[in-house]
Amino acid sequence: MANKRVLIVHDDPDMVTALRLTLESAGYEISDAGTSQEGLQKVKERAPDLVVLDAALETSADLQVSLALRNPAPQSPYAAYRHIPILMLTAPHTAASLRSGPEEAYLPVDDFVDKPIDPNVLLEKVRSLIL
Amino acid sequence: MDLPQVLSRLAESAAIALRAEAASVYLLDDSGTHLSVAAVHGLPAELLNRAPQPVQSCALDREALTSQSTVIADIQDSRAELCVPLIHAGKPLGTLHIYSIQSARFGEHDATRLRPLADLGAAAIALARRVTELEIMEARKAEFVHVATHELRSPVTVAQSLVRSVLKRYASELNDQQVEVFTRISRRLDFLESLVNDLLDLAAGKASELAEERPVSLNASVGRVMLLWQPRAEEKNQAMTLDLCRDQLVVRGTEEGLDRILVNLVGNAVKYTPPGGSVTVSVQRVDGQAQVAVSDTGIGIPKESLPHLFEEFYRAPNAKKMAEVGTGLGLSIVKDLVERYGGRVQVQSTVGQGTTFTVTFPLLSANTP
Repeated sequence: MANKRVLIVHDDPDMVTALRLTLESAGYEISDAGTSQEGLQKVKERAPDLVVLDAALETSADLQVSLALRNPAPQSPYAAYRHIPILMLTAPHTAASLRSGPEEAYLPVDDFVDKPIDPNVLLEKVRSLIL
Repeated sequence: MDLPQVLSRLAESAAIALRAEAASVYLLDDSGTHLSVAAVHGLPAELLNRAPQPVQSCALDREALTSQSTVIADIQDSRAELCVPLIHAGKPLGTLHIYSIQSARFGEHDATRLRPLADLGAAAIALARRVTELEIMEARKAEFVHVATHELRSPVTVAQSLVRSVLKRYASELNDQQVEVFTRISRRLDFLESLVNDLLDLAAGKASELAEERPVSLNASVGRVMLLWQPRAEEKNQAMTLDLCRDQLVVRGTEEGLDRILVNLVGNAVKYTPPGGSVTVSVQRVDGQAQVAVSDTGIGIPKESLPHLFEEFYRAPNAKKMAEVGTGLGLSIVKDLVERYGGRVQVQSTVGQGTTFTVTFPLLSANTP
């Protein structure tokens, strides 16, 4: 059985390294993209089993990967990839951890992981999203 | 009062004091060479849009400013005008003009009458300008701290993520020495993260325009905070007790701010109470106000520390000795927020026995269920 593929869309190569270390040792095949545009391109090229996004990048970029992938229009160029689960990294403010959900809840993602990343929490969430 | 209000009041008061039809205030620009209309009373508002005039071409003003005394003029037997220089601490700020449609209307006694008002007016103008300057400085400082802390946060969380991946053996196996080194690095990064978050809170608190205050439930906030600290208290085998009054107490503030106050106070109680101790939070209505009391059976606060307790970065000596991480900003954030919401915070403590922090807020409403 081929390894499951995870695509990481993140503009910080150090964060990509941190994620890679954990995910690769757990057997996942990792590819990464430094911008939202590159990320969408790689989704088409590689059809990953999971996409990891960063809340800061998603909310500040001109293009939102999550919105593009989940575009409900039947003629959307990403229609074939609409089903791919999306995990989003978020930086909770200390008081915000008291709230039931991050402000990024309006973006169509399936689960969230707080930064700094606890590798075990990351793996647990990835495993439950890649069925 | 802001500068426009001060100027407008000055023009109005001067006209009324002399029972004259109209008045205006002119202010000098930074170079002291041009005068602009800054306020009018009994005159069309369009005058305020007039271009600045060189002092040289305003005969009355020039004379008033150079002689530092009032000048009276009768214009072609049809109008009278009085011009008083506005001087504060030896510095000329502008001029005050009073107008009348009666010629020969103003005399020396009017000039004398106007002197104290002009002096006060000049002082008020100087003060209002200073206040604006300080507000701008304060806003700039808060903005700087806000940007700086956001910039600091990102590399810290990335570094933590990397270190944690290594510590959990996802990069490779580790020997004892490596574990120790990485653990120490991780602890320092955790502290740095706390510090950055606290600084962000402090800066956000000072940028008051950002937070819109509205009625918030004190009971709900306390409930949330207790839930947050419960796991840690359980780890330390501490008894946590909540004594909530039946009425829903509503105070003015923001949910985030109120939570923050309580997170810090309850957090301190849990942190600085040894295992096996107890933390009690009570919410009561006292003398028509809402009161929250956070008590613990912890290490207490030495008398010498009490005056410094709410200072930024201050940590009491016995707190520093404990293994708990603390930035010293928690209580200054609490005080800042409590006062912003119109409340008061007090502390009572005995070293070795425990501490009680009491926060009182004005009560917006109390809903009996």
